[in-house]
Amino acid sequence: MRTQRLCCLVLGVLFLFTACAGQDAQTDIAEENKTSFFAMDTYVTLTAYGKDSREALSLAQGKMEALERLWSVTDENSEIYRVNHSGGTAVEVSDETAALLHFALGMADKTGGALEPTIYPVLTAWGFTTGEQRIPTEKEIEGLLAAVGYDRVKTEGNMVLLEQGMMLDLGAVGKGYAGDLAAEVLRNHNITSALLDIGGNIQAIGAKPDGTPWRLGLRDPFSGGTIGILQVTDAAVVTSGNYEKFFVGQDGETYGHLIDPASGRPAKSGLASVTVIAKEGRICDALSTALFIMGADKAVEYWNDNMDFEMILITDEGEIFVTEGIADSFIVDDAHSDMSVHMVGR
Amino acid sequence: MDAKKLTQLAMLTGVALIIFVVELQIPNPFPIPGVKLGLANIITVYAVYHYRAKEAAMIVFARVVLAAFFSGNMMALMYSMAGGIFCLAGMIPLKRIIDEKMIWVSSVFGAVLHNIGQISVAVLLTKTWGVIAYFPFLLLSGCLAGAFTGISAQLIIKRLKNKGGRLL
Amino acid sequence: MKKKNICLAGFCAALFLFGAAGSLAVWFRPHGSWVNVMQDGMVLYSFDLSSTPDQTIDIEYNGSINTIQIKDGRIRVLSAECPDKTCVHMGWLESGALPVVCLPNRLVIGFAERESVDAVVK
Repeated sequence: MRTQRLCCLVLGVLFLFTACAGQDAQTDIAEENKTSFFAMDTYVTLTAYGKDSREALSLAQGKMEALERLWSVTDENSEIYRVNHSGGTAVEVSDETAALLHFALGMADKTGGALEPTIYPVLTAWGFTTGEQRIPTEKEIEGLLAAVGYDRVKTEGNMVLLEQGMMLDLGAVGKGYAGDLAAEVLRNHNITSALLDIGGNIQAIGAKPDGTPWRLGLRDPFSGGTIGILQVTDAAVVTSGNYEKFFVGQDGETYGHLIDPASGRPAKSGLASVTVIAKEGRICDALSTALFIMGADKAVEYWNDNMDFEMILITDEGEIFVTEGIADSFIVDDAHSDMSVHMVGR
Repeated sequence: MDAKKLTQLAMLTGVALIIFVVELQIPNPFPIPGVKLGLANIITVYAVYHYRAKEAAMIVFARVVLAAFFSGNMMALMYSMAGGIFCLAGMIPLKRIIDEKMIWVSSVFGAVLHNIGQISVAVLLTKTWGVIAYFPFLLLSGCLAGAFTGISAQLIIKRLKNKGGRLL
Repeated sequence: MKKKNICLAGFCAALFLFGAAGSLAVWFRPHGSWVNVMQDGMVLYSFDLSSTPDQTIDIEYNGSINTIQIKDGRIRVLSAECPDKTCVHMGWLESGALPVVCLPNRLVIGFAERESVDAVVK
């Protein structure tokens, strides 16, 4: 009888020990939390690791949803909508909108107008905003281009003045900017490992919980698969390409959604996609669009003049150009080993 | 070749085709390319043991070509033809070693060789080595189907012997 | 004579067992989440099923079309314009080693040995 009790006791104590050990092992693995929602006209998935990640994620989600309400072109209550329908009078906007606008206009200036935040009327004429795609006439495009020009947007502090007939669309930088602000919310909550996927625009905070870099697949512009793997830590990655939205006209030609502001027609720069890697999502977002419109030669020139980003260009012929700062982190899939990869140096 | 021999070969081909068409009507429960009973090979096995090599080959090739027409699956022609060639190339020398009483063994070898022929063509056509993963399944089904057709052929030969004659 | 027959039968049994063992090994081979869609030995598509959204893709070969479906992280041939439709009957791609093939259209869909990605930039 006594030995039996002793055995029970020993077993019980052992059981407690193992239970404790199990708990220890669990706290070692960073807690993963994930949230998915629809914002900025796209599907957003935020993944964060750490103790307070759940709370931080819901705050980040709230931030992005609030920004969308400010920046939507179609939402009648948004600040951008108010600016676009002001009938030529000055409108006061929030600090966030003013900052986004200043950034967009600054990037437009820096890229020589390749990024054009007032291209919206032309985009609409091609039907990319409505889904009823068509080929506008030369005359129509010419008329609409008269209402395009980032340098004609007047700002003073938080006041914005847009000429009648002009339209602002910050979609090309809004997703990146919102991602930056959402990442800031997470960082302020001591999140050191998180991945923000904003409709394929990626923003990485730190490295994976195990300390290794994030592994990002790069979309193959010629098919639905991936073309290679990019390893990044604490960086944003955005790809622009005409494969995202395009239509084939009655003339059999393919028309993409990235409009060259100089011609008012879909950009035909010889590039199939442009991927930009930088610290901030807003830079990536703005540059991937602008460099796509510029074409490979001008993009490399721009990269040489500006040190704050890296890029991967894929031409229509299937050639890949990778800048030297990221060359070691990019591995082309075995399946695409026939594509020629060139390193671009300074 | 005399008219009698020609008629015999034509009859055997006809019987093989009938068996083939009947088998087509049986739904195949195994969704793996190349896995089937192959009952028409009862005739192949019989022909290998009762006719000269050239004659057996004629029966097999005529059946393979006509079967492709009957089933409307012209793509299968290449696989079946490769299978048929491999099968004959193995069975004809084997009949010297394997006695007619053990015809089912010969039939198993034939079936397995048939499958090896098919899979070789599949690898060549798809240019993908991964297709070889099907080989164990085909080996398995080849053994079973070969044994079955072989035993069927053995039964037929035995009954014919009892009746004191050849099939035709 | 008898000894030879036993030998032959034994050889057949060995073939059978070898086939059975190989089939089991192939069927239960583990796999990752990367899938290659190949035609004529060339990789047409490379997907990470864990991060690829649901979609259908048409792949043409000499005028006949195979429709591939990706849904809930699985892949299969949804429909095929070929006589036997074996690829359709094979259903979802399950085994790590056994690809779904459409021989008439030279199409092979199989798991590839690759590490998965955290997200896809697009």
